[in-house]
Formats: sequence, structure tokens, C-alpha cells
Amino acid sequence: MTAETQSSAQTSEPLDLQMLIETIPAMVVCALPDGSVEFTNRAWQEYTGGSLQQLRGSGWQTAIHPDDVSGFAEEWNASRSSGKPFATEVRMRRADGQYHWFLIRKALAIPPHQGGDSSLRTLIACEDINDRKQAEAKQRQSEIQLQAFFENSPNVIFLKDREGRYLYANREFKRVRHVTTGQINGKTDTELFPTEQASVFQASDRQVLKAGVPIEFEQVTVEEDGRHTRIVQKFPVFNADGEIYGIGGIVTDITERKREEAARLYLEESHRLIVETASDAVVSMDEMGAIRFANPATMRIFGHDPAELIGKPLTVLMPEWMRKLHDGGFRRYLATGQRHINWQGTELTALRKNGEEFPVEVSFGEQTREGHKVFTGFIRDISARKHAEEQLRASERTLRELTETIPQMLWSAEPDGAVDYCNQRALDYTGLSAEQVRGAGWMKTVHRDDIEGMSRAWTVAVSSGEPFQQEFRCLRAADQTYRWCISRALPLRDLSGRILKWFGTVVDLHDWKEAQQALQMIQAELARVSRLTTMGELAASIAHEVNQPLTAVTNNGSACLRLLANRNLNPDVLRRALEEIVADGTRASAVIARIRGFIKKAPVERTELDINKIIQEVLTLAGHELHKNQVVVECQLTNTLPLVRADRIQLQQVLLNLIMNSIEAMAGAPNQSRVLGVESRVDESGDVLVEVRDSGTGLGSEADRLFTPFFTTKANGMGMGLPISRSLIESHGGRLWATANSPHGAVFSFMLPATGESPS
Amino acid sequence: MIAASLVFVIDDDPSVRSSLKFLLSTVGLQAETFESANSFLRRKAPDIPSCLVLDVRLPGLSGLDFQRELATRNICIPIVFLTGHGDIPMSVRAMKAGAVEFLTKPFRDQDLLDAVRVALDRDRARRKHDKEVADLRQRFDSLTSREQQVVSMVVAGMLNKQIAAELGTAESTVKVQRSRGMEKMQAASLAELIKMIEKVKAPSEKAS
Repeated sequence: MTAETQSSAQTSEPLDLQMLIETIPAMVVCALPDGSVEFTNRAWQEYTGGSLQQLRGSGWQTAIHPDDVSGFAEEWNASRSSGKPFATEVRMRRADGQYHWFLIRKALAIPPHQGGDSSLRTLIACEDINDRKQAEAKQRQSEIQLQAFFENSPNVIFLKDREGRYLYANREFKRVRHVTTGQINGKTDTELFPTEQASVFQASDRQVLKAGVPIEFEQVTVEEDGRHTRIVQKFPVFNADGEIYGIGGIVTDITERKREEAARLYLEESHRLIVETASDAVVSMDEMGAIRFANPATMRIFGHDPAELIGKPLTVLMPEWMRKLHDGGFRRYLATGQRHINWQGTELTALRKNGEEFPVEVSFGEQTREGHKVFTGFIRDISARKHAEEQLRASERTLRELTETIPQMLWSAEPDGAVDYCNQRALDYTGLSAEQVRGAGWMKTVHRDDIEGMSRAWTVAVSSGEPFQQEFRCLRAADQTYRWCISRALPLRDLSGRILKWFGTVVDLHDWKEAQQALQMIQAELARVSRLTTMGELAASIAHEVNQPLTAVTNNGSACLRLLANRNLNPDVLRRALEEIVADGTRASAVIARIRGFIKKAPVERTELDINKIIQEVLTLAGHELHKNQVVVECQLTNTLPLVRADRIQLQQVLLNLIMNSIEAMAGAPNQSRVLGVESRVDESGDVLVEVRDSGTGLGSEADRLFTPFFTTKANGMGMGLPISRSLIESHGGRLWATANSPHGAVFSFMLPATGESPS
Repeated sequence: MIAASLVFVIDDDPSVRSSLKFLLSTVGLQAETFESANSFLRRKAPDIPSCLVLDVRLPGLSGLDFQRELATRNICIPIVFLTGHGDIPMSVRAMKAGAVEFLTKPFRDQDLLDAVRVALDRDRARRKHDKEVADLRQRFDSLTSREQQVVSMVVAGMLNKQIAAELGTAESTVKVQRSRGMEKMQAASLAELIKMIEKVKAPSEKAS
């Protein structure tokens, strides 16, 4: 639009049209085909606050909201080219700067008039629709809100038309039924639910339609996750004319609530049952200290009928002397929240109706009900338990008295071996305090030389759980002397075999040990006497054994003297003779040494010995006797025998005794059958077994009396040989016995425990 | 001094054996030693004067048993017994059975040597006697049986006449046979003949 055209338009405007426009009670713009404004009516100018001058041409567009300008232009152009009616809604600025919504439409096309501009003019009406727009927006907002409520409701909400076709279903409906909007709208219950259910729904629909008022239904359905109970509120929906056009429904699933209610009822019932049947008395009181509840056990425990207790002060259940304490404490608690006693498992004294006081264990609970505090006490009669405890204490006291008065030293230790208790007697003996003996403190009393063996034995026992036994010298405090004691201990185990504790004793066996040593000496002396006797029996053999080398010495010596007398001095001859003299002299002294060793008064000395060597020594010692009696010796000695721990001389004595007996037994037998068998081997239990077998006259009817002292079949026998032999073997932890030999004769056997070592 | 003789020593102790042999050698006596009776029996006895020095206690066979065994075998050898200790009953038995001596170990050298000497002398004498008897027996065996009959009767003290009557022959025949007998026996007198015939008869009695 140019300035020129504007001026021409102004001048050529027919007045009647302009007048007409001015009278239209609306804002009107007269536009040229290019969209430029020829003029506007006064209402327009007043609204926008702009002059005609400002609004002419395209100036009027400045009043349109900048966001709406492009849309407006498009609409305008589209309309002009197509000739279609033009109508669009834009915001236009009012004079005060506020924008109002306007409906702008092509109102009237004015054909060209004579003498004027030949252009087609268009009247554009601008109708203020701001109020409508705002109402619409409000309506929309309201709908969105409603929609939001429906959509976000945890309830199923729907709307059906009179024919039962779904018009709306909310999100919960779709979620529950697993369907989309498209699958619901226009459908009926028959299509959406199982037949039976659908008919129920439809029946209720009909009921609502008929009644024309909201009705509540309860529906029970069985679904995948179990039984559901729902409250369905159905209501008629009216149109503007007050006619029912549909049925709305709101469904509330009360399954969970039902369940909770059931659970609550169950819990309450359980609690009631527990309280009613509890063996403890349950008593509640209010803030005033009055009893509000008492369960049946109260009757049993206190002797009060629960009903008659209601309203009475709690203090009736307490002895007189406790009441003030209770009241004071209770008031303080209410005031300060400070508890005067522990609320869990406190032991108190209670009072029975009959006036008897008895111990109870009380626990309290506090609860606020309708603004008031209620205290509930659980009261357990512990008089039986107290009694049992007292009895246990008494029993423990008795046991303790027993351990303290028993004339034995007693001790106990933890499973790890640490001593945790010694009775008074043990403490008195050692002079140590209960503290000092703890752990390994008792070791102080053990003799230096016995500590190692003692601790080893104890360690072995503790780690293996085997019974403990060890002899040791213990320092007696009274006279500061070391005395031989023996300690023994056994483990106490639980059902699974785990060691709980060790219980041990210590016995002073010093006197006993000394007596035993004296006895041992006597036994050794007796054995020696017996050996001397045996030697007496061997005297001829011994003489022979000594005489042989002496004879040779004499002969050689005499011969030498003769040679010297004859001056026959061949040095070789003389040297050989002298050498023989020396050799024979040595031999004779060896025989004597052997015999002396056998009969000398030597202390018993146990060493680890190879029994085969002893057998050979004894066969040498008895060699001449065997020889003299034409006895054939058959030896069967096992080479790899374990060693035995024994006194050499005593073992020699036993073997010699058995062999001499055998020789004697065979003296009467014909020469060819005098066979002495000597055998050594390991027996089934791993011990060393020696058998001396003869082919003599056998044991006969005297077998039983063989080992009886002073029983003898020999003319010169003392009858002590076999008893002594047996006691010697037994003192080595072995056994000696006699059996019959086959076809005749006797077998004397003895067994000695093996040490586990083998002869090197 | 003592011509060809031999001492046998039996003792189970080698020292005793060798010392005895040495001691005997100092007086020029030759000795042979054995550890057992059996080993001695296996040796063939030489025909020279000899004796046995024997330990009473021997392995296998005792000295006294051995003594008996030798007698049974008709082996006459003088025995000197040695023993470990004096055992009177044993020594009596040994001596009764003809032992030369019973010595207790250890013995004096001279005692042993004396005993050995006595034993050897005894053996020598026995051997001489045995030789005479053997000669006489040989002579006696050369007589006819009638001559032996007649000589035996003469020695028994019968007269010629009595013998003739006994034998149922002539007295003159008896005389001839008697003189032929005495000639064959080389007897110078009746007394000598009697001694001779006694010797012939004695060993055979002993042997039976």
C-alpha cells in the first residue's frame, strides 16, 4: 500500500459505505485485495488505540500478536486464492497493551463502485471472542483435571451408554483388563468379560437405569492372583435435558483391605488367646495406676479373680513395703519419663491374695490409647525356678564342700589344658594360691627333671583327648621336699564328644613308692639268692669250665719247666706254649667274670636288650650242663625281634632256670630223645615271646603247682626257681606260663612287651 | 728211652689237647689227639704199645661208656682218665673196669706222666703175654686132636694108665702120644707143660 493509494482511497470512499461500517457494532476493517487496509471503523481504532493513519496499509497487522501474524497471513492468502470464506482467530493488542482473542472473518465483499477505485474491497469483521476463549480454556482445563483424576485413580472408572456400550474407561480399567482404548470403546460387557460376569454387570446396569439413582454393588471374582472383592458404585449420567444417557461406574478393589482386616482380626484374636491362655499373669493399668485388665492366669498366680481386680490399684498385687516405692516411681515416670526400674525381666516380689509373698519376673509395655497411657505388665511366677536355682546352688555348695573336704588333691582344667581350679587340699600341699596354680602355674611345683615329661604327657592328653596319667615329683610346701606323686585326669565330654573340661586328681604316692622300692630290693635279693642256688647246681659245670683252661695252663707250664730243666731251649716252642698259657688264663678269668656277673649283688637296671643275645649267653652258661647230659639244642631265633626293656641279669636268670629245669626233666629220658628247643619270635600282639621246650617227663599232674613257692620235684630243689622267674617276668610287664609239649615234655613260655625298637 | 710207643689223647677242649701233647713231648712220648671218641675209633690202632688219655666227659659218648664200648670191641688199651672234678663213685667204676689212673684236672705233670708210663708198660706187658699165648696156641693147634686130648688129661693130673682106660686104648699108645705132644709144645717138663696149657686156655676163656 502506497501513500498515494491511501490518499486516493480516503478521498474516493463513498460516504454511505463508510457510514454503514461505522454503525456496525463490531470492529470492521475494509481491506483491499492485497490485504492492505483502506480504512477501519472507529471501534477498531478505539480498541487498538491507533489512528486510521497508523492502521492503513499493512499497519493494522501491527496490532496482531506476533505469534499469530504468520498464521493469519497464510489463512488470508489461502482464502484469496481459493475464494473460500476466511475466518481465523488471532490475538489483537488492545490500547492498554493487553491482547484479546478475536475471530476475524471476511464479512462482505463490496463490488467496485463507479467513479472510484475499481478494486474489490472486503469488509473484515473482528469479533472479540476473548470471553468465550477464556471459558473454553477453563473448560478444557477442567476436563484435563477430571481426566487426570480419572486416569490416575487407583479405581476402575468407566462410562457406558444406555445400551451398555463403553464410552470411556480409565487407565486402571485398561491396566486391569489388559486392553487398549480402541479395544474397549463401543464394546459391551458381553464382549469384554466372561458371560456370567457380564450378565451380572448388565443386571446391575439395568437396576441403575431403572432406579435412576446411584447404587453400590459388591462383586466377588476369582482372578489369576486369587479371590477379589470389589465395591462397584454405579450411577446414572444425565444429559442437559435431565435424561439418562449413560451409566458411570467407580470400582474399588477392597481385597487387600479385606485381607488386612482379616489379618488384624486374626492378630487381635491371637493376642487375646495368648493373653487369655498365657501362663504368665497379664495385667494392664491406666495412668491412675488402676487395673484395667487382668487375664485368667492372674487368678492362678495371684489368687485374684480378674473381674474383681478391675479398677483396683495395681499395688494390691504388691507387698505392703513395695507399694510406696511403686507409687513414687510410677509418678516420677509419668512426670519425667524416667523409669525407676528396668522394664524387661525385672525380678520383684509380688503378693498373693492369701498374703504370701513370692518372687516374680516382670516385663512392662507401654501403649497410648486415645491419648491415655496404658501400661501392661507380664508377670511370671518364678518361685519354682528360684527354688530350683536354690537347690542347684545348694547342690553346687555340697559338691564344692565335697571337693574341698575330700582327702584327695583335685583339679580341673579348660579343654585347652589351662588349669582353672585346684581344691584347697591341693593348694595346701603345694603352698600356692588359687591364682598361682591357674593356667600352667602349677608347673612351678614339678621337679626340674620331671617338667619335660609332665608337660609332654599333658600336651599329648589335651590334644588327643586320651586319659592323662603321669608320675612326677611334686614340691610339698610343708617340708619343702619333692615327693613322688601321680596325677590322673579324664575329659568330660558333651553329647557330640567335644571336651568340656578335664577333671584330675593328684595322689602322693611317695611312701607307697618307697615301700615298693624296698619290696623291689627284697625281690632282687631273693632273685640273687635264687641265682646263687642255680649256680650251686651249676657248680660242676663251672668247675669244669674253669678247670679246662687251668689244666691247659698247668700242662703248658709244666712242659716249659721240663724243657728248661733239660736245657732244651727252642724259643719257638717256648713262645707258643707261653702264648697258650696267656690265652687260657684269659679264658678262665672270662668264665669267672661271667659267673660273678650273674651272682653279684647289682641294682636292677633296665636297658633295651636283644633277647636273642641273652638266649645265647645263657646257652653258653649252661653249655656244659647240656653237654654233660647229652642234650641236643635246637635254636630257632627270629632275627628281627624288637628290643625289650629289661634287666639283663634277671632275664638270664629266668632263661637259665627254665633251661636247667628242662635239662633235669630230660635226665631220665633215653639219650637220643633229649632235645631242648629254644625259640624266640613276635607273638600276635607284637610282644616278644620266648619258648623253652623239652622232651622230658612232662608236667604231669603237678602242672598247677609249678609256680607255687617251695613246690619242687627235685631232690635238692628249693622250689623257688619258677615262682621267682614268674615274678621277675611279671615285674617286667610280661607273663610266664607252662604248657605240655608234643609228643611229651613241657613248654615254658614267657612274653615281654616290645619297646618298638629293633636291634641295630 | 722208651721205644716206639704212642699216646692217644681224647678231650673236647683243644687247649687241653694241645697242652697234653706238648707236655708228653717233653719226655719223648709221641701223642695223637682226638676231639671225640668216634674220631679215635675211626683210626686203625697201630701194633705198638699205646695208651689212652681220656676225659670222662666227652661229647656224644661219656668216658665210662667209651671204656665199656672198647671192652665190647675187645680192644685192650690201658686208659688214664681225666676228670673236671673228683667224683669218687665214677673213679671207682673206672678203676674197676681196668683204668690205669683217674686224675682230677688240673693234675701235676708228673702224675700224668707216671700214669702214662704205667699204662704203656702195662700195654707192653700185655702185648708180650699175648704174643706168648699166641705161640703156645699155635703149638697146641699143631697137635692132633688125640694128642690134645692126651695132653689135656695129663695136665689134669691123670696117669697114663688112667688115660688109656679112659680113651680105651693101650697105655703104650698113650705114652707115645704124650711124648709127641710135649715135643710139639716144646715143653721140657710136665710142670712147664702145665703152665703152658693154662696160658693157652686162659685167654680163650676171657674172650668167651
